[in-house]
Amino acid sequence: MPDAYTILKDSPKERALLLGNEAIARGVLEAGVSVVTTYPGTPASEVGDSISEIAGKAGLYMEYSTNEIVAVEVAAGAANCGVRALSAMKHVGLNVAADIVMSLAYAGVRSGFVVVTTDDPECYSSQNEQDNRFYALLSNLPCLEPSDAQEAKDMTISAVEISEKLELPVLLRTTTRVSHTRGPVEYGKITKPNLNGKFIKDVKRLVMVPTYSRPKHTVLLKKQEEAKKISETSPYNRIVRVGKSREFGIISSSAAYNYAIEAADLIGLDVSILKLGMTYPLPEKMIGEFLSKHKRVIIVEELEPYLEMQIKAIAKDYAPNIKIYGKMGKQYFPRDGEFSIRIVATGLAKIAENKLPIAFEKIDEKYAEIVKDLPPRPPILCAGCPHRASFYVLRKVAGEKAVYSTDIGCYALGCAPPLSVGDILTCMGASIGTAEGISKTIGESTIAVIGDSTFFHAGIPGLINAVYNNHKVVIAVLDNLTTAMTGHQPHPGTGMTGMQKPTERILIEKIAEGCGIKYVKVVDPFKIKEAEAILKEALHFQGPSVIVFRSPCTLMVVREWRRKGVEIITYKITDKCTNCMACIKLLGCPALVVEEGKVRISESLCTACGLCASLCPYNAIRQ
Amino acid sequence: MREEFNVVLAGVGGQGILLAAEILGTAAVKEGLNVRVSEIHGMAQRGGAVVSHVRIGEKVLAPTVLEGQADVILGFEPLEILRNLKFASEKTLIIMSCEPIQPTEFTAKMKKYPSLEEIRAKIWHFTKNIILIETGELAKKAGNILTENIVLVGALAATGKIPIKDSSVMNALRELVPKKHLDVNVKAFKLGYEYVKKS
Repeated sequence: MPDAYTILKDSPKERALLLGNEAIARGVLEAGVSVVTTYPGTPASEVGDSISEIAGKAGLYMEYSTNEIVAVEVAAGAANCGVRALSAMKHVGLNVAADIVMSLAYAGVRSGFVVVTTDDPECYSSQNEQDNRFYALLSNLPCLEPSDAQEAKDMTISAVEISEKLELPVLLRTTTRVSHTRGPVEYGKITKPNLNGKFIKDVKRLVMVPTYSRPKHTVLLKKQEEAKKISETSPYNRIVRVGKSREFGIISSSAAYNYAIEAADLIGLDVSILKLGMTYPLPEKMIGEFLSKHKRVIIVEELEPYLEMQIKAIAKDYAPNIKIYGKMGKQYFPRDGEFSIRIVATGLAKIAENKLPIAFEKIDEKYAEIVKDLPPRPPILCAGCPHRASFYVLRKVAGEKAVYSTDIGCYALGCAPPLSVGDILTCMGASIGTAEGISKTIGESTIAVIGDSTFFHAGIPGLINAVYNNHKVVIAVLDNLTTAMTGHQPHPGTGMTGMQKPTERILIEKIAEGCGIKYVKVVDPFKIKEAEAILKEALHFQGPSVIVFRSPCTLMVVREWRRKGVEIITYKITDKCTNCMACIKLLGCPALVVEEGKVRISESLCTACGLCASLCPYNAIRQ
Repeated sequence: MREEFNVVLAGVGGQGILLAAEILGTAAVKEGLNVRVSEIHGMAQRGGAVVSHVRIGEKVLAPTVLEGQADVILGFEPLEILRNLKFASEKTLIIMSCEPIQPTEFTAKMKKYPSLEEIRAKIWHFTKNIILIETGELAKKAGNILTENIVLVGALAATGKIPIKDSSVMNALRELVPKKHLDVNVKAFKLGYEYVKKS
């Protein structure tokens, strides 16, 4: 991976290959943003991670906050002291932060404040495909949508400027393909950060009690007029191509724009293209004029018909007879999944009655033959993952019939066989409350599985509820001492901060005890006999219980071994093996492979956790 | 003719696919070319199928390759090449590592991993241009089994198919690989390079 310091170079005009998220981090430096807060979540993580690496040297403040709403609260506090701030989160993170975002729109900010939200069409690493542009519509906050890394950097700077001008937070909305695509980025000048804020008391402006918030709603609506003016003249809302015949026009934004332009070229469509970079508020006049100059206009956007709905309303005033094509009504483009050149070209060809120059059906036919017996290769828990040991213990003691309410993190992968621990999963922290509702109604103890970072993020209110309302749940906290899935960010239980400084370490077991849980135990999941005994006790305990299964993430451990040059003495199958396949059937460890009917341990994958050895009925696995 | 160059890098999480793609992308930028490198992170990465697309060309905007338009498929794992054959046509060159990684389903259902001949026969339905390369052996020879990705980058450079100078690829590699492991990686690059030049 690139040296994080690449983005720190004060070398205007230099071109570097940056990930969309790294480009946003570079934008932070060029815009003079001085406070960056985040809660990690794919596809947003690298915004905060890049800043975390360099914050000390760059002279700005960065933190991994406990969750997204706290991240926005901290940044909003700073931005109301005249310090430029940015918060980054994945799309569902904005659901968590929505409460403050909605009312901060009324209170406003004194200096630039940008909320980065990264949507995930195709659910690459998310539980849903929600379209967060609707948050702009809901909150009346301006929204910018970059389509590549260069724009991601440039728009971060513009978002700060617009925010300062309107004294409103601004949303910067990307998608996975914008955040996780590298492209050339030309650097501008770095602005020195300024962390010295000043809080000016102004109750009417900042205290959102009904008497003051009512007039602030009016103020917010008035600001919309100015925001519209900015949108009408924004360099990011522009006609990038003028067609010869004026028969067809395309309006597009974000990653979809990239596919639209290549797809139009592919099918040889003579078309004008209006690219929208500021998508709230929309440049009504600009769009209206574009509509009136064309006979038929095609809206190319991923996920919801956000632009289409608004553009159809604009058309009523400007071009009532125009034909508008998109995903409403005849559905020329899908509302689910991500786009590709092919998907957009297919939709355009259907509308324009053009022929596709590539016989995709023939490719599909041949490809279907190839993949029909190709095994899937879904993401799996790594060899040596401590969660595998925890799941083995849970399945062995609580059994197949127990209901396992699980949560967001690597351990969500435990729902796959053979471990099969995970019967319901919705959002961060939901495992505990959901388990309580299940246990209340089925009349049996229910198990909630939650990771360490997720526990701090949103698990604690559910835990307090278990004590307060006396729910019979076993809360299994799978503590691998990091936020593993998103790239090993620190959290309140790690004793490290985003500034890479040591801090007070908050222990999950102390929180549980402090909240009134009467049965709290900590165990190393690889000590399976001990863990089994504790789980049995917890299941019989009258009242809610907490077990912290604590063992560090294997990836961190192995990385540390490699750094120190420690040799891993892997396990091997000895001739005592009877091929009973217990290890294969119970664990699903990628290091255990079957070759010619016999089990073998892959030397390159085994991390010497010893889990298979400790459960082998014939003692046939040795180091 | 469309003036672009498309590589699809296909393999399994943990094989260093993203680093290989970044080296190609960085090398392109060093030559002043326009480039897009798409990546997959997070949940999808853990031991699962990983694919990265590198697209080079003045008019390139989309992050992903269109079906049938890959110039090269750089295959880190044989079955993962099959999974990405929709990007291939008879013009596509497949550079293929011979090192299989068992999918867990094969293990659980006691299924046998297909032979390289069977896999090659399937690829032939799309293209006859295949370079087989023993990446594991060459990586070990270089001094670290974890450098299979760089062996493949070396092999790709040697085909002369990418519109980038070898020296730019090497410079990108020097920039992106940790100093401590640079020598091993340079060696891996050269071994992959020579392997293709000789064959």
